[in-house]
Amino acid sequence: MKKYLMENLQQNSTEEQKIRIIGFLCNWCSYGGADTAGVCRFKQPTDLRIIRIPCTGRMDPMFAIKALINGADGVLVSGCHPNDCHYSVGNFYARRRMEALKRFLPFVGIDTQRFHYTWVSASEGQVWQQVVTEFTEKIHQLGPNPGFHINPDIQQPLSLAL
Amino acid sequence: MNDKNKIIKQTFQKVFDDLEVVLGWKQGFDSLHMTPAFIRKASDLDQLVFNPQCVQNLSGYLFSTLKAADPEKQGKIGICVKGCDSRSLTALIQEGLVERDRVYIVGIPCKGVVDVKKLRNLKPSLTEISGITIEADEVVIEADGKTERFPIADVLAHKCLQCRYPNPLIYDALIGEPVTARVAQDAARPAVEQLDALSLEARRNFWLTEMDRCIRCYACRNACPMCVCQDSCIAETRSPKWLSQRSDISEKFLFHMIRTVHLAGRCTECGECMRVCPVDIPVTLLMEKMNCIVKELFDYEAGIDPESKPPLQTYDSSKTGI
Repeated sequence: MKKYLMENLQQNSTEEQKIRIIGFLCNWCSYGGADTAGVCRFKQPTDLRIIRIPCTGRMDPMFAIKALINGADGVLVSGCHPNDCHYSVGNFYARRRMEALKRFLPFVGIDTQRFHYTWVSASEGQVWQQVVTEFTEKIHQLGPNPGFHINPDIQQPLSLAL
Repeated sequence: MNDKNKIIKQTFQKVFDDLEVVLGWKQGFDSLHMTPAFIRKASDLDQLVFNPQCVQNLSGYLFSTLKAADPEKQGKIGICVKGCDSRSLTALIQEGLVERDRVYIVGIPCKGVVDVKKLRNLKPSLTEISGITIEADEVVIEADGKTERFPIADVLAHKCLQCRYPNPLIYDALIGEPVTARVAQDAARPAVEQLDALSLEARRNFWLTEMDRCIRCYACRNACPMCVCQDSCIAETRSPKWLSQRSDISEKFLFHMIRTVHLAGRCTECGECMRVCPVDIPVTLLMEKMNCIVKELFDYEAGIDPESKPPLQTYDSSKTGI
């Protein structure tokens, strides 16, 4: 397994632009927004793989963490604008969790730019195009995510003031 | 037997008829280790002790003890708490996991507890300890007939060196005089700051090396007073299957991230997870960092006010707020 992953990672770093971005989109707004963008034939990057969730309130921060630790290059979460949630308050809960997670990621060595959350409504096809293009560009700049698999060959472990 | 032990005993004796069980500390297998005591007979109250070796956070036992208690009797449970333990207890009350009127809390102001691992490193041959006292910046250890002084940083537990709440915040009876906190309310956490100062790559390498040692014994979870789902922990469920049995670093790290996420805004920094870790992973640092973020975002500290709500279990309905 480890060998396979190593090969996979090495491939990633040599092959140009093999980027995987996971998008968690709320069923009621952003998924519709992405659909609108498609129907309107707005040009979009193809690196994003979309997972439809019933509401951003369903978005467990662990979804993002698991994806990033296992080597996804970016995670994008998008839902309804505040006060427009189909379930009234789902995105309010989500907003708190996402913000806390975003600030936490750098502490364990994951670039916080790899995680982005935003609000896009079903009619905002153009906004969706912009969001997804900007995020994909940023991830391409950052390059592949090394993930959390390989044991680094550390000569001297860090000792902290504990 | 010192005065404090006597007062603790007398305090419980007065109300013992209403209590189903008393949770306290008694001497363990040697004079260095104290162990949790579950006292059901008034005659056993003599066993209760309090000294800097009483490291265990007893509020971790409260949830299961209450669940196992006789539902018809509705008897109270007596418990001894230090400052940090009282925060865990408050957090449990906040979330409705413990009813305030079912516990009788004896609060003990605490000057800090000893980290047995640190002590063993200092004095590997230690056998008979007759007493440990903590002064402002020194720990006095009387052992094997000799008295020795050490700087506190060498002996005290990590959590005690940055303790903001040495006095119990919630109690029915207080034993002894309140003590002053070791650091200021808004003081920084040195270990977290040290890590924060590193580069992204160095931080990732640090956690990879630390997590590589994890043997997934789940002791950190089992010792945590706030990990209340223990028997139905998502780390062990098959549906949803979050973790496999692989011994990959990513699986180990995911487990610790589950704990971090679930304890966000709830962890009271009692340090039990780090104390029980058999391979010395500084797990507490993850929660400490999360607590800094929660403080910054929501101006909230866990386990202070029994009436307030943990920030991630509520929301702000304004359009621009968090």
